[in-house]
Amino acid sequence: MASKSRWADTEEDAALEAKIKREKEEKKRLKAEKARKAAEKAQAEEAARQRTLQAQQHEEDLDADRPSKRRKLTPEHDHDPLKPTSQSQGGDSGKLLRFEAGSWGPARSVENYDKLNDIEEGAYGWVARAKEIQTGKVVALKRLKLDDSPSNRVGLPETGLREIQILKDCSHRNIVSLHEVVVNDGASDSRSRKIESIFLVLEFVEHDLKSILEDMSEPFLASEVKTLLRQLGEGVAYLHDNWILHRDLKTSNLLLNNRGQLKIADFGMARYVGDPAPPKLTQLVVTLWYRSPELLLGAKTYGNAVDMWSIGCIFGELLAREPLLQGKNEVDELTQIFELCGIPTDESWPSFRRLPNARSLRVPKGSSAATGSVIRARFPLLTAAGTALLNGLLSLDPDKRPSAREMLRHEYFVQDPKPKHEAMFPTFPSKAGQERRRRRETPNAPGRGQKAAELGSVDFSGIFAGREREEKGGGFTLRML
Amino acid sequence: MAHITNTLATVDQLYRRNTLDALPQDLQDTIFYATQCLTQAAGILLRLPQSATAQANVVLARYWLVDSALANEFSDVSAATLFLTAKLGSHPCQPRDICNVYTYLLSPSSPLFQFPSTDPPPNDPSAYYLSEGAYTAFHNRILRLEARIVYSLSFDTHVALPHPLAITYLQALDFLSQPKAKVSQRVVEYLNTALLSPQLLYLTHQPNALAVAAIYSAARDVGAKMPDCAWWEVFDVDREELGFLVVGMRSLEGWVRKQRDEVEGLLGQGMVTRKGVEAEMRKRGLGVGNGGNGAPGPEEEDEEAAMMRKLDERVAMVED
Repeated sequence: MASKSRWADTEEDAALEAKIKREKEEKKRLKAEKARKAAEKAQAEEAARQRTLQAQQHEEDLDADRPSKRRKLTPEHDHDPLKPTSQSQGGDSGKLLRFEAGSWGPARSVENYDKLNDIEEGAYGWVARAKEIQTGKVVALKRLKLDDSPSNRVGLPETGLREIQILKDCSHRNIVSLHEVVVNDGASDSRSRKIESIFLVLEFVEHDLKSILEDMSEPFLASEVKTLLRQLGEGVAYLHDNWILHRDLKTSNLLLNNRGQLKIADFGMARYVGDPAPPKLTQLVVTLWYRSPELLLGAKTYGNAVDMWSIGCIFGELLAREPLLQGKNEVDELTQIFELCGIPTDESWPSFRRLPNARSLRVPKGSSAATGSVIRARFPLLTAAGTALLNGLLSLDPDKRPSAREMLRHEYFVQDPKPKHEAMFPTFPSKAGQERRRRRETPNAPGRGQKAAELGSVDFSGIFAGREREEKGGGFTLRML
Repeated sequence: MAHITNTLATVDQLYRRNTLDALPQDLQDTIFYATQCLTQAAGILLRLPQSATAQANVVLARYWLVDSALANEFSDVSAATLFLTAKLGSHPCQPRDICNVYTYLLSPSSPLFQFPSTDPPPNDPSAYYLSEGAYTAFHNRILRLEARIVYSLSFDTHVALPHPLAITYLQALDFLSQPKAKVSQRVVEYLNTALLSPQLLYLTHQPNALAVAAIYSAARDVGAKMPDCAWWEVFDVDREELGFLVVGMRSLEGWVRKQRDEVEGLLGQGMVTRKGVEAEMRKRGLGVGNGGNGAPGPEEEDEEAAMMRKLDERVAMVED
């Protein structure tokens, strides 16, 4: 069937006729528009009109009315349009997947929102509760910090742009949703006005987990911990499925609404990664208390396991109501990790010797009883399955940590007590909704451009002093080559 | 889905570009093509991966559907988009390097856009020396435009490219039983060429359609035998869309040839500039004004205005 191609065809095409009938109204509307256009711009160049129509056609996905336009589009110079094969009625045979596509246009102004109250102001920006004037919807406004000092002339912060992009791409019930991005008023007026502030309009969530943990008199019930952890796991699994590393999971970045829903927030450190992970990822990520040992030891390639470590720390924090590993600096953090999880051995973490900061790490050659994990002892009330999960998440070897999906399938979530239904979750008075929040004493996420701490020649052979009394160990020191 | 889909231009945006802009269509097309070529050339000199440069091409095309092309110098917009997409990927560029590369490409020593003469132009380093003052001014323009561009796109900088999809599709088609390198290269060539097309193919079609059209064209070029059925439907492209894209992609070469012959003085003597376009419009007896939107804004805030703004900010902060 070497007939002519469809766009060079004539109106007689039978299938087309059917389509035209089907979409008669669409077509009428289109023609009216065409007529209006013609009147407006009689002298418009032929090419211009062709392209408009073509795009219009595409946009509205109209099958009707095509041949005449397509004919015009056939370029003058000679090359055969594609030769049709036996199947000539495109579109009639199978259902084709159409991709939903948004569009773009200038950002709106922040003047569309009324500020209600400040929520917090930290090193990484300012957040306020606000109301959209038009709809009355309550949202959280987060201002991006723009550093425009003469010494820092790098334009818009890539972290902010990445955060916006990632949030725009995400849609999950356990991830805070970004409604839009707005700018200071007047940015659109004239080109000479600079864009001075950029605000992320985020869904307003009443609490963050950190303040709840600080203020509650009774710890979360086992069933409540499960609900929170499972939601965290679901959110992180979604991120990892979509090739996103969060890189700053901690309780102050986990929000909780009054319906018991947990939402992951603050994607200032997040980025897209591939598989294999891109080289030269910055090691300076994740707030110190939630930072995994491979990052502390200077790993340049890392992956989802850094988020899983943070989840382990959060799990421990939910149980203990205080951060699990509160190191004062990188060395102290590493010390605390080894105290809790044991000292890396060739069995527990075969590849750790290859990490930049581990080359000169001297570990005591004691028995595993002296240098093994004490997680079981630290959480005596946790069930065996819970301990197994926590141990897995806090594996020194990143390859041994479960993935988020594996975590969700863990026996811990199946055993009694079952995770509490979200709707049954207790509610708390919302600080964000009413008053200025107490300043947090958690260390902040590392800043971009800071130098990664070199562990230096700190001697911390005394970590296991207590244990060494019971059993002889060499102690270990870390020195830089 | 975000990794394989793009936001697309609306009818309204395309209509406004094609009919309401003071700039005649043919000049718009020439400017578009030249600027996209400039971005590609700069990407090569900056050793950026094509993924970053191609994203810059798409971002620029989107931006020009919001702001008129005449609103800023074309090469500045090109530099700003490249700066932006390089930063967002994993290959950030120093502003200094970008300014140097663009200064070179815009100088008479650059062979870019020097069609009539076949000899490479004489290399005169003083022609592309960038003084400190010129650097600061260029840098300022890039930063201002960067903000302007992301604002105009409501901060959506996501661009899904068809290249990886095309390779995946080729794998599914067993590389059309051709040498892998040969057919893949041809496909990628079509996709890269389409970036330069003033038909804005990347703004009107999803990556899967672009990938299928490139494979279709490449198959014809290398003489590969394709399945007898409507194989493109497997990749969710209908025949209409495929046909249009194939024609669009294949016609660019002829269009460029014609441009070189016809639009003398615009292409062929270095990069097209706003000044050159305005001169051309005067020659044709067209007004340069662009509905009050074409006049260049003041490049810099003057010192006093900056001071006043800072004071205002302080006051606002105190009041908060």
